[in-house]
Amino acid sequence: MSPEPATRQEIDVLARRAGLKLTDEHFKELVQAYGYVEQMLIRLRRARSYADEPAHVFVPTKFGPDRGMI
Amino acid sequence: MTATELHFITVAEAARRIARRELSPVELTEAYLQRIGAFDDQLHSFVTLTADLARWQAQSAEAQILRDGPRSPLHGVPYCLKDIVETAGIRTTGQSKLLAGHIPAEDAVVASKLRDAGGILLGKTATWEFAHGGPSWDVLFPPARNPWNTAHHPAGSSSGSGAAVAAGFAPATIGSDTGGSIRGPAAACGIAGLKPTYGLVSRRGVLPNCFSHDHVGPLAWTSEDVAIMLSIVAGHDPHDPGSADVPARDYAAGIDAPIAGTEIGVPWRWLEEEAPCTPETRAGLNAALAVFRDLGATIRGVEPPPMQLFNDAKKIIAIAELYSIHEKDLKTRPELFGASLRYRIIAGGLVRAEDYVQAMRVRRDLASAMQQIFTTIDLMMLPTGEPAGKLEPVPHYTLFTDPSYTTAFNVSGNPALSVCSGYAANGMPQSLQIAGRLFEDATVLRAGHAYEMATSWRDRRPALSTTRQAAVA
Repeated sequence: MSPEPATRQEIDVLARRAGLKLTDEHFKELVQAYGYVEQMLIRLRRARSYADEPAHVFVPTKFGPDRGMI
Repeated sequence: MTATELHFITVAEAARRIARRELSPVELTEAYLQRIGAFDDQLHSFVTLTADLARWQAQSAEAQILRDGPRSPLHGVPYCLKDIVETAGIRTTGQSKLLAGHIPAEDAVVASKLRDAGGILLGKTATWEFAHGGPSWDVLFPPARNPWNTAHHPAGSSSGSGAAVAAGFAPATIGSDTGGSIRGPAAACGIAGLKPTYGLVSRRGVLPNCFSHDHVGPLAWTSEDVAIMLSIVAGHDPHDPGSADVPARDYAAGIDAPIAGTEIGVPWRWLEEEAPCTPETRAGLNAALAVFRDLGATIRGVEPPPMQLFNDAKKIIAIAELYSIHEKDLKTRPELFGASLRYRIIAGGLVRAEDYVQAMRVRRDLASAMQQIFTTIDLMMLPTGEPAGKLEPVPHYTLFTDPSYTTAFNVSGNPALSVCSGYAANGMPQSLQIAGRLFEDATVLRAGHAYEMATSWRDRRPALSTTRQAAVA
């Protein structure tokens, strides 16, 4: 994604892709909120090695027959 | 005991008196119900009062205790639950119009444990909508107010829980904390509140805010009472995917042990450069650190990663998870959300999967860095926040822009306790946050208890008047 802030038109496309059909009032809320969210998204992006795993991983031992997850 | 003594009794003292048969659970329950009836129209701390159930549980507990003695320190002692904790047969709304008629079939695990311990459920307390968006005036119930000054807010999202304990409506309660929602209200209301280590207390049956950062924990007047409550609700739950398989323990045992030799770190850069606290709050922190120095602790600066990174990672993860939880309602009946919550989560629908994963990678980095710091210190201390301001609408975007002294420990999972550390010039409580190593919740509580015993802040209570309290500045 470009570091340039998304335009209203781009946000409209993203919202439609997400299946959101918003009233004008709610779309205005989304445009304003996404402006702040986008700044956070940009700050979180960084160079990563292939092996950098996220904080959530699948833990198979939690799914054993005596472990409660099934 | 006088009515005032009953209202302000601690869980520990109530348990001692009940065990000695000097205090009747029925009398204690009636005292709270009368006080709630007299004053809660000023505070709106309860959204559902379970008076009939409480009276029945109190009579039953009294009979059992007279026959067999108490089966736990909570047997015969009243408490309340944040209204995101599901309760069988009792409305659980999350303060949301979406759940106005929601009556769960089963108790949450924490509710079940407290009931089995013999506690007396007084009712369900106010929250921000789904423990996230607030304060709001366009949701199911009005926002709670701060008993130290009803013109001020009790913070959120465990707003009613903090207000109820400080007001003497209940000695203890259960809240939840995803970015500071136990510690913030505890700080604002001058009580103790613990965000336990992630996974220590089951979240099953508690309405989710953000799965990966949700913690359930107790609030009470003292750290000792928090420890008693934690001992009851902690424990592995194999049906909660985030639950940690660690042995249960008594967190109140050894709480009086000295803390001399404890090494305390202070993240000065957060407090001086990234999100400077006010001079009054800084002076309060310095005074609290001096108390710990006098108790034999050593204090030095530490350098955790930037606070903003913790906040960014948590907020992106949170809005993505929140959106996934509320997507159907956002698409089909968005008008039923309060504007604050809707604003805060709707952009979660635009967060791409790769951005969520990047945020989770950052979380891993941050959690790892925090644990590295805790290999060099026993505890980290900083304010929980500034004293509570006026209860008034806040711009919705502040969730995204305002720094938080509490969120880092949700991201890292470390236990963090808020205790009262004095009172500001305007009379509102000040706060100290004490964070510790993963699963060393007992060390955190011991430090909070030592501080409370060394200071006189626990001797002061808010004054409520039978005539409606003027909302004074």
